Amino acid sequence: MDLDLLVGLLILLAITAGLVGALSGLGGGVVVIPALVILFGVPIPVAIGTGAITILATSTTTGAAYVRDRLSDLRIGMFLEIATVPGALLGATATVFLTHASLADTLLIALGLVLIATIPGSLARRNEELPSRVQPDARSRALGLSGEYQDQALGRPVSYTAARTTPALGVMFGAGLVSGMFGIGGGVFKVLALEKYLRLPMKVATATSNFMIGVTAAAGAGILFAAGFVNPLFAAPVALGTAIGAYGGSQILPSLRNRTVRLIFLPVVAILAVEMILRGFGLP
Amino acid sequence: MTAGPSRVPTLPDSAYSRMTLVLRGGLFLALGIMVAALVWYLLVFPSATLADAIATNPILNYLGATGLAHGLADGAPAAYLTLGLLALVATPILRVASGFYYFRLGHERAMEGITFAVLVMLFFGLLVLGPLIR
Repeated sequence: MDLDLLVGLLILLAITAGLVGALSGLGGGVVVIPALVILFGVPIPVAIGTGAITILATSTTTGAAYVRDRLSDLRIGMFLEIATVPGALLGATATVFLTHASLADTLLIALGLVLIATIPGSLARRNEELPSRVQPDARSRALGLSGEYQDQALGRPVSYTAARTTPALGVMFGAGLVSGMFGIGGGVFKVLALEKYLRLPMKVATATSNFMIGVTAAAGAGILFAAGFVNPLFAAPVALGTAIGAYGGSQILPSLRNRTVRLIFLPVVAILAVEMILRGFGLP
Repeated sequence: MTAGPSRVPTLPDSAYSRMTLVLRGGLFLALGIMVAALVWYLLVFPSATLADAIATNPILNYLGATGLAHGLADGAPAAYLTLGLLALVATPILRVASGFYYFRLGHERAMEGITFAVLVMLFFGLLVLGPLIR
């Protein structure tokens, strides 16, 4: 295949990844990495490096829009980065050392199973438009982890406050670890932690996850860069396409209802979980 | 839905607009460099294929600051692709730095300490851990 054709195909693929990433809060690596491996025969380490670039492009594009619209909560996002960044550094370092080790495969399977286990809880909340009876913990009160956004779909301002910060920090460390290690999966745990433990509205969870994943990916990308896992001939067209798709997604999200965003998110989680398990067993 | 705490620290509006500007500026700069370098690369190597791209990762020549500087001075398109990718990686780090600045401005010691710790870890990864692994 000629390189110019490859560039065109990668841009088209990445537009889809950016759109899915922006709407789900997952960053788009979930689409790009398996496609690079299965469709183009790209080695997995390079696909993981490209996945990190996809996440960076999604986060930067959507971050600009969601921060402007106050959908991303800067304070909550930056507070949780204290857990995701060390996780990402550890994960990316582990990837370099354990690329071909069976431990990485086992971890993938375990993470896939954990993701599947979270689906019933999210399904139970599928009709919940906004969380109710949320009690902030002491840390949330001290740091002012609360906010308000104008909900276009509901046509009114919505206020929220963060609830259980300690389990959220634990899940965020795991999210960073997965993100650094596999280039995918970080966003899915972030959205779950933001929604399930902090009890943020789904759109705020998605937008704040998108805001955060860029920093997590940047932490991992430095190491993946240094290890030679980022190939600019794949990463550059993917970054361009992702930015286009993510911009489209960022224009759509504010007008969606929270339950619609959850309905987009859940199937992607299920696909990601199956994909992790299959990859853990060595299947494409 | 519960109401938030009665008195909470808030970021000024300028923090949101400045952070939007940092993210948008970094994105446009990174994408601008990458698009120009990609077109340039395709013009310089018109017969390059997918197999070539997989077999030879051009970034390996530009991982160090000296190699990158030489590549940029020589007008190597792959060096400019690398520069664009580095600009993309640097953008969220700049965003954290601007958050640190606003928390410091608002005398929010706890959030200031958290963002500073995140910055230290990011630089540790980029400048110490990455080269160490390489």
